[in-house]
Amino acid sequence: MEYRPTVPPAVPQDASDEMLMVRYQRGDRQAFAEIVRRHHRRVYNFALLQLCSERAAEDAAEDAFRRLVQNAARFKHEARFSTWLYRIVHEVCSRALESGRARRAEQNAIRDDALLLETEESGIGRHSAPALERAKGLSPIAASVVGALDELPDDQRAVFLLKEVAHLPLRDIAEVTDTTEHAVKTRLRYALDRLQRVLSGFEEYARALR
Amino acid sequence: MDCEKFDRICLDFLYDELDELTHAGAKRHTEHCLRCRDIAARVRATREVGRVPEVDPPEGLEVRILVAERRARAELPLRQRFGRVLSVLASYAMRPQLAMGALLLLVIASSMILFRARPGEQMNVFVTERGIPESDSDTVAILPLRTRIKDAEDAPRARVSVNARQPEPAPDVTDATSESTAPAPADTADRDYERALAAYRDRRFTEAEERFLAIAARGAEKAPAAALQAAQAARARSGCPAAAPLFEKAYQRFPHTQPGQEAAWQAAGCYRTLGDFERARQHYQALLDRPGYADRAQAALASMGDSPR
Repeated sequence: MEYRPTVPPAVPQDASDEMLMVRYQRGDRQAFAEIVRRHHRRVYNFALLQLCSERAAEDAAEDAFRRLVQNAARFKHEARFSTWLYRIVHEVCSRALESGRARRAEQNAIRDDALLLETEESGIGRHSAPALERAKGLSPIAASVVGALDELPDDQRAVFLLKEVAHLPLRDIAEVTDTTEHAVKTRLRYALDRLQRVLSGFEEYARALR
Repeated sequence: MDCEKFDRICLDFLYDELDELTHAGAKRHTEHCLRCRDIAARVRATREVGRVPEVDPPEGLEVRILVAERRARAELPLRQRFGRVLSVLASYAMRPQLAMGALLLLVIASSMILFRARPGEQMNVFVTERGIPESDSDTVAILPLRTRIKDAEDAPRARVSVNARQPEPAPDVTDATSESTAPAPADTADRDYERALAAYRDRRFTEAEERFLAIAARGAEKAPAAALQAAQAARARSGCPAAAPLFEKAYQRFPHTQPGQEAAWQAAGCYRTLGDFERARQHYQALLDRPGYADRAQAALASMGDSPR
């Protein structure tokens, strides 16, 4: 007998994220698959630029969606789904950064060369080797952008990525980062100034100004 | 709009998050203010040139997330799973179609209550005082008590058949016990007659027929009435084919008594029912000169005017 896989019920492609989430709350797993299909790329890129490690970004993306499942019952359909999702992603990345920083501090205190080497290989944290490796495959401008982001403080980088990668409105970024809209604008302005200084040496930038 | 205000809304302006009116004001301001126009141009150029490079996620990431989702669902506490089931049920309960269906059922149910038959209107079974259904009253005519028969013999115009809806009060003579409590019959014939009558009331028609025939055969005072009632018992038991000869015989034996004439009338009806119109006509004609039957017999013959001879 020929094996025929069961065809899952189709999820409307034009359904909003909020509607998909409500369907998932009612047990529709296809709705969740559609949510993952729509958002996993951006979540991964956000985590990658925050953590500068492909492995850590994969783990963070998986962890973020796992937490989304665990907290699915709390989602209110009046809320904006992307804000809720990136609040989780931001929290996961922040914890990963804190964890990496804590480990690095501990290793510095011990001054154990072997452990230090292992930490660098894990890739979590700024100025790590994988980030530099990743920058090598990019165009000069993109590599400069990645380098400039690498130099930014965590809160400024988070705000910048929430705007440029997640495309959240400024008001929602304030909600995700638990701060005011004014603070979000200030951090974003600093991040853009920093980026502007880095890019000012490129001919493309001068051409864009004309 | 001034430069100070533009500085506050510069990012909203560049990210297109201003309302239409403020956006137009900011745009007008940049057209006239070199400083603000320069700021806006630099930020815009930075965003254009310094676009954040995005990469494709690893191929297995989507599957890995879905596997993690399956695991996470399996690990959910029972309370959350129950809540999910409740949510599903609630979502169905809140659907307008379900509400409309429930309303429709309610309307139908209330209509059924309003339009149902009144108690006793259709399910009534009219029963005579002697326990015979009204529907049988056309074919079964119960003779009244002994005393009434006696009166009937004295008054030939009176009909023997009893209207089932207007029963006469009668002493209960259905069993041996009642025999002992009822007024004692004067002789054995009376007791036999009472027993036959009791068997008829209990719808033991075969026994009643035998008892009535035996009384009729003895030729006592009650013989005419017994012969008539034997025929009635036969009709109640087996219908007109068995009863018609007995009615005819009762009439032939007692043609000048009231029960005999009633037997002739019943015989005519039975033959008419059986399609033997000639014999029916003969019996009706025999009753034309009998008081109490003449008019009815005349009418019956008139109604048979078109019947085949």
